[in-house]
This record gives sequence, structure tokens and C-alpha cells, in this order.
Amino acid sequence: MIEVENLTKRYGPRTAVDGLSFTVRPGTVTGFLGPNGAGKSTTMRVLVGLDAPTSGATKVNGRRYREHRAPLREIGVLLEARAVHPGRSARDHLRAVGATHGIGARRVDEVAEMVGLTDVTRRRAGNFSLGMGQRLGIAVALLGDPHTVMLDEPVNGLDPDGIRWIRHLLKDLAAQGRTVFVSSHLMSEMALTAEHLVVVGRGRLIADISVAELIESAGRGVHVRTPRADDLVRLLTGDGVRITTAGTGTLDVDGLSTEDIAERALAAGIPLYELTPQRASLEEAYTELTRDAVEYRGTASREAA
Amino acid sequence: MSTVTVDAPARSEVRSGLTFGGVLHSEWIKLRSVRSSGLTLLAAALMMIVTGLIFAATFGSDSDGANGVTDPTGVTLTGAMFAQLVVGVLGVLTVSSEYSTGMIRSTLTGVPSRLPVLAGKVAVVVGAVFPVMLATAFAVFLGGQALMSGNGHPSAAVGDPGVLAALVGSAATMSGVAVIGVALGSVLRNTAGAISTLVAVMFLVPGLGSLVLPASWRDDVLRFLPSNASDAFVSVAPGPNLLGAPAGAAVFAVWVVVPLVVAAVLLRRRDA
Repeated sequence: MIEVENLTKRYGPRTAVDGLSFTVRPGTVTGFLGPNGAGKSTTMRVLVGLDAPTSGATKVNGRRYREHRAPLREIGVLLEARAVHPGRSARDHLRAVGATHGIGARRVDEVAEMVGLTDVTRRRAGNFSLGMGQRLGIAVALLGDPHTVMLDEPVNGLDPDGIRWIRHLLKDLAAQGRTVFVSSHLMSEMALTAEHLVVVGRGRLIADISVAELIESAGRGVHVRTPRADDLVRLLTGDGVRITTAGTGTLDVDGLSTEDIAERALAAGIPLYELTPQRASLEEAYTELTRDAVEYRGTASREAA
Repeated sequence: MSTVTVDAPARSEVRSGLTFGGVLHSEWIKLRSVRSSGLTLLAAALMMIVTGLIFAATFGSDSDGANGVTDPTGVTLTGAMFAQLVVGVLGVLTVSSEYSTGMIRSTLTGVPSRLPVLAGKVAVVVGAVFPVMLATAFAVFLGGQALMSGNGHPSAAVGDPGVLAALVGSAATMSGVAVIGVALGSVLRNTAGAISTLVAVMFLVPGLGSLVLPASWRDDVLRFLPSNASDAFVSVAPGPNLLGAPAGAAVFAVWVVVPLVVAAVLLRRRDA
């Protein structure tokens, strides 16, 4: 369980997180989604006590992180930035982190095997590929067999096989009743793993919503093809209905169900050649949500939007 | 394709919590598992031995102590000033390398109260430096004295007055400088900056001070610098301008403790 209560974090004049509140519950994978610079990494750093909040509070499993007697058993963390001495072997790195909590060689070998690093644990971490580095970071997160797992952009640098592996791992951890909190700036990645989403932009909460609800809420429309487009527009125009012409004889109708459109067209004797409900993709829903919150946007895409 | 299994971990290993003993163990593993630590310590020992033996071998009748008293012990410990700098670098690196590599994030996430990490680093650095440099001091002392007596010069024995104190004192000074290094590394979080500061405090300031300060109060200031304060309790025949041995030890201790306290306060306060 992760609780963030009215968290604000400023670095000098820059506000990274601005009055953010949300709760992450156990048993499901919760995605922490937002454009780059939205405050995701900062929130995670505050959660594990690396940065102090300017105001507000964060709790992990009901307590402030620092108050836990065995922090690594409460929450396992992979932060985005590298956190390994390149001159140390993977095994020594794991042993050094584990030693603080009396976690010994046996568990170190166990987690190395879990993340698929068994054959390279004696190699220096500096020689690891980006993907192997991520696996090592995930091994550190799992060392204490924690109730809560928090990973910042875990798929970064992983090959397709590694990405599949991470998805399975996250779902597996959630299925065991753990709290799983994973950040990403890619909706497509979250769509495949997360059931719930905390969406942030410019340090503020944009949505705290299940993936199903998000798709539901995103603007859906109906694609209609008819030879009497002008007549149909006149017929359907009304409160809360938005109609756009998508080409000769095709319309996109927003605000009416397919049933409504079909019945009214039939009553007016307007033939319909096509009537297709449009489902917004998660990607579109997300883009819609964060439209105003993107910090760095190229002018080209601004014009396109 | 790799399959995923999150095995139930060995239960016995998952019961224990965060302890200071654990932090010490962790810091020890960290110190030992990076090649530079051993190399740095070896370099310090070699520097002390080679310098001491060269001075002993070329020892002439004009090599008198500061009082005009011949000090064979001091001759064999001449390398200490260089070795100090190297162990200081070792101290700096134990902290600054964590910041330069990002390891500090792993470290402080595991130990969110933070201060045990600093205490652990001080303990393992002293634990490595003191015994090694004590053995080195004995080795260079015995070897150097043998060389000098072989050349027909006066020499000292471990049992002579002040000799044992000088040998132990030199290892203690090494440990102290290493701790100053830890503190500087922690305050400045930057290897180059911390090493430069260490060199300035240990070498440049004493040298510059004796050049630019007015003679009337120069010695009153210089004797309080760490290098001269430690000379007061390491020398068998201390110079006339130095503090007494107990006062020297106290002043040197202040030079160690104050940066360490600053480091502790900042470590608690600053974002990692």
C-alpha cells in the first residue's frame, strides 16, 4: 500500500510535484503514467526518503518510510537513475545492499536466478548492458521479499523478451497480493500490464482511474456512411451531439449510440451503408487526458494537435 | 522465453531487519569489493616504506631533528606525510564514489535514517587503515633502523622512550586523515573537490602560512593546523613551535570531529 497525501516538492524555483494525492492498493498492478517531467520520479524518490517533501506526506504500508524497522522488506525499489557502482560485481552489489538487513548469500543467489543473472553475477556491473543493469536493479528490489514493489520505467533498455518477462513478473507479484506500482511514460506499455492508472502531468494528478474506466470515458463516436449525409446531419443535430464530416458521404457522430442513429435514420427513410462504433484506443484516451500537461512538446506536434 | 517464478524466499533470511551490525557488514563488503580500496591502501603502505627506507639509507650526520637532536624514528617515518594523503583519498572515495556512480541511492534507500551509513563508513575505513598502517609503521621503522645502524649511524629501538607512541600515533594520524576524507567526500559529494580540499588543508595551508603570515604570530597559528597538531604527538623529538602531545592530540581530534559533524548534519538534511 502506498499513500501520497497532498505532496508538494520544489527544487529551488521549479515545482516538480504540486499537491499530489493518491493511494496505490495491493493486489493489482498500478501504472504511474505521465509525460516526461511530470513528477513521477520525484514522487518515488520522496516515497523512499531520498528527497524530503516540501509539504505533504507519503506513507508506505501505513507508515512513513523512515519509520520502518526493515525498509527493504516493506518496499523494493528500482529507480530510473543508475544506482550501482560499476566496479563492483553484481553479486557483491546485491550482498552489500542485503547485508544491511541481514540478507545473506542464499537470498542473493535466489533473486539473481529470478531475474536471470545467475551466469553473470561475478561480472562487474559496469560491463552490463542496459537490460542487464535493469535486471540487476529489479533483483535489488526483490531482495527483501517486499510487500510493495515500486519500479521506475522498468522496461527501459529491455529487449522484447525482457519486456515480456517484466510484464509477467509484475502480474505475478500482484497476484500474490503485493502492491505493485510501476511508472512509465508509455501508455502502450501500461495498457498491457496495469489494471489501474495514476496519471500525472506537471506534478498534478490528472486521473486516478481504472484502465477500463479510462477507455469508457474517452470520447467514443460512431462512424456513419450514408448517401444522404446532409439530411442525416440535420436529423441528428441536437444537444450534446457533435458531428464532423469525415469525407464524402461519411460522418463521425459523437454523443449518440448506434441504436439511436439507426432508428432515427430508419424513421426518416435515410439509408445507412455503414454504422461502426469507434472505440478510442488507450493511447488516444491518454493523449486526450494529458494534452494540456505535456511539458516539452515540439511545435510540429502542437500544430498537428 | 524466460518464465517467471517468484519463489518464496528462504524464510530465515527474511525475518531479520535493519541493524547497525548489518550496515557495518554492508560497508565492509563495499570497501572490499572495489579494487581501488586495496590498491589505495597498498599505495599508501608502499609510499611510507619506500620513502622511509630511502631516507634511512641516505641518512647523514646532518639529519637532525628540529631541536638539533638526532631523531632516527622520525627519519624512518618521513613517508607518513605522503601516505596520509593517499589514505585521505581512500576515505574520500568511499563516499564520493557512491555519489558519482549513483550507488548512494541504493545505500540510502536501504538505510533511510542515513547516519548509520556514515558511522559504518568511518568504522570500516579506520578498521582497514589503522592495522595496515600500524604494521607498515613497524615494518619501515625496523627496516630503517637496521639500515641506519648498519651504516654506523645512531638508531632507535621500539622500547626507546616515545618510539611506541610515535608508531601508534602515526597509524592513528593516518586513520584520522582517512576520516577527514570520509567527511569531505560526504560534504562535497565530489571526488575532485574533496581531494583538492584535503590537499589544501594538509599541505598547501601549512606551506602558504609559513610563507605569508607575519613572523610574530605565524607559529601561534600554524601549530593548530592538522599536520602540525599531529606532529606534536607523533614526533619522538617534537619541534619547539609545536603544541604539547596531549594538546596536539586534542587539536587533531577537533580537525577530525568537526568535519564529521558537518557531514552528519548535511547528510540528514540534504536530498540524496
